[in-house]
Amino acid sequence: MSFLEITDLHVSVEGKEILKGIDLSLGIGRTAIIFGPNGSGKSTLMGAISGLPGYEITQGSITFKGQDISRLSVDERSRLGIGLSFQYPPAIKGVRLLTLLETLNRQTPEKITEYAQLLNLTAYLDRDINVGFSGGERKRSEVLQLMMQMPDLLLLDEPESGVDIENISVIADGLRIILEKDQPISRRKRSAIIITHTGFILDYIKADIAFVIMNGHVLGCGAPGEIFEEIRRDGYSKCSSCFAEKFCEEYKGAL
Amino acid sequence: MNTVQIDTGRLNEIGYNSCVASCGSFMVLDHTVMESHCNIEGLVVLPLKQAFDTYPHVREKLFFNVVPRDSSDTTLQAAEKEPVGYYVFVEPGIRIEEPLQAAFLFGETGSHQFIHNIIELGEGAELNIVNGCTTATHGRSGTHIGITETYLGKNAHLGYTMIHNWGHDMEVFPVGAVSVGEGARYISNYVGMTEVRKIVTNPAAYVETGGSARFYSVIFSKGDSYFDTGARVLLKGKDASGEIISRVVSEGGTVISRQLLSGERAGSFGHMECSGLLLNENGVIHSIPELRGAHPDINLAHEAAVGKISREELSYLMTRGLTEEQARALIIRGFLDIKIEGLPDKVQSFMDEIISRSVEGSI
Ligand SMILES: Nc1ncnc2c1ncn2[C@@H]1O[C@H](COP(=O)(O)OP(=O)(O)OP(=O)(O)O)[C@@H](O)[C@H]1O
Ligand SMILES: [Mg+2]
Repeated sequence: MSFLEITDLHVSVEGKEILKGIDLSLGIGRTAIIFGPNGSGKSTLMGAISGLPGYEITQGSITFKGQDISRLSVDERSRLGIGLSFQYPPAIKGVRLLTLLETLNRQTPEKITEYAQLLNLTAYLDRDINVGFSGGERKRSEVLQLMMQMPDLLLLDEPESGVDIENISVIADGLRIILEKDQPISRRKRSAIIITHTGFILDYIKADIAFVIMNGHVLGCGAPGEIFEEIRRDGYSKCSSCFAEKFCEEYKGAL
Repeated sequence: MNTVQIDTGRLNEIGYNSCVASCGSFMVLDHTVMESHCNIEGLVVLPLKQAFDTYPHVREKLFFNVVPRDSSDTTLQAAEKEPVGYYVFVEPGIRIEEPLQAAFLFGETGSHQFIHNIIELGEGAELNIVNGCTTATHGRSGTHIGITETYLGKNAHLGYTMIHNWGHDMEVFPVGAVSVGEGARYISNYVGMTEVRKIVTNPAAYVETGGSARFYSVIFSKGDSYFDTGARVLLKGKDASGEIISRVVSEGGTVISRQLLSGERAGSFGHMECSGLLLNENGVIHSIPELRGAHPDINLAHEAAVGKISREELSYLMTRGLTEEQARALIIRGFLDIKIEGLPDKVQSFMDEIISRSVEGSI
């Protein structure tokens, strides 16, 4: 059994089926990329794994660390080690970023200061969470929050969209710390699923596999760099690896 | 003579503590002034009756002036009683940083307490008053009527904080009006965090040229409390400004929140924000914001919203590992958090503490 094992997952949003039988597995210490056109169901998959309300699992299962988590609440999944960086993080008026980080009570005050510095967010600690934050600032604030949590499974929904080049590298620095990318693979204990359209993040974080999701199905798998090249060159509709579902089995074996 | 045991715990809850450094203090139990002293040159703290003798203008010019005697049944009723309360005066140019503490305690069951306070600040004077009102012990019932008339001289500055912590069988009718002189600043903070049978209050500020009046109120309504509270800012002079901010959280009872901003001369501007958060289906929040303009060259605006805690915000915090209760507490605490410019740190942190305790206590 893999670290994360998703089998025949069907998910509906407001009565409409969005995910139509997803199979996906991920080993410990691995990083997977998800590609897919707008509206294909990528964020829905993240929401279903993290247990956000509104994503109704109608069929199939999600097991994490050998446990079926599909009935657990958001916070239970979080405490089990699942962490999500939102594509569109909401703003919470009145709650200061620092207050949240302290309430999480997972890191020492020194670590909070250190990580805030790393992400250029020191001046934002006293501001209300995401209120008036620019797009890029919100994404950095997501990573800072995740660094408090140090989740075993990191779900990153377009972590670099709207982020300038310099700040992508800042975000990647944070993510590499969480993912222990300085350690040999055999020692890494944390895994990640990263959704990206631009592929920029691939320049900073090495991924082991890419899945292509289209219309609620996983239609292809492959080496992240190669698939990304094909998508860029041929688009989703003509990219042959995107439709090479049979390779997924081979890759699963490798993970 | 009264033999009520004063519950010092409750006094602490409303910020009255004889041991804490303050510039002076004043305490009334039922109808009797128990304590009245003042530690600072340039500050006068006296029982009102004594002030009438010492300073004739207090009775002649300030008593039932900015609050007219016949403004309501409540005031008419109060006018028939012996006035019990304080007269506070700060000499021109004197700025006092340590807050003045005042407490009004209610000890007798079933009685009516009438309080009349007068505050006068000379030109350029500065003062902060923390007023606490509470029942001396839990479980008392009765009526409290409190009139406060405030007169701010030119460029004076008053911070007036009122913390209500009444027993839940009390009916409370504070009546207040403030005359804000040229260039003067008035800040009012109202904190109502405990269950109470009924509170009705709608103070007014009359603001002269270049002056400003700001009213902040934070209310947490529980059980079957009934709050009818508000503030009126009447911008009389040129370039006068006003702000009214009210935050109401309800897990029961009725809160009517009235706000009026009125601009009468060129350059007056004001802003008003009333937000209500309903935690369940047991409470009602009725927000009534009013704007009145009587000159084209004014700028008055308001925002008002009543709703529930956003599911999206809750889930967001829960993905970080907070339980639903923790997430709700954080959001409610944040909602009630208003940082008030010009308020001494000591008063602000005291208010923060009371609000936090109340939120924790209810979740
Ligand atoms: N709350 C909702 N109500 C109705 N439809 C929804 C809702 N949430 C998602 N959908 C629909 O589900 C489909 C998948 O949405 P999802 O957000 O998962 O796409 P995505 O792959 O993440 O797209 P993008 O690349 O644009 O972020 C879309 O067609 C979307 O409109
Ligand atoms: Mg998406």
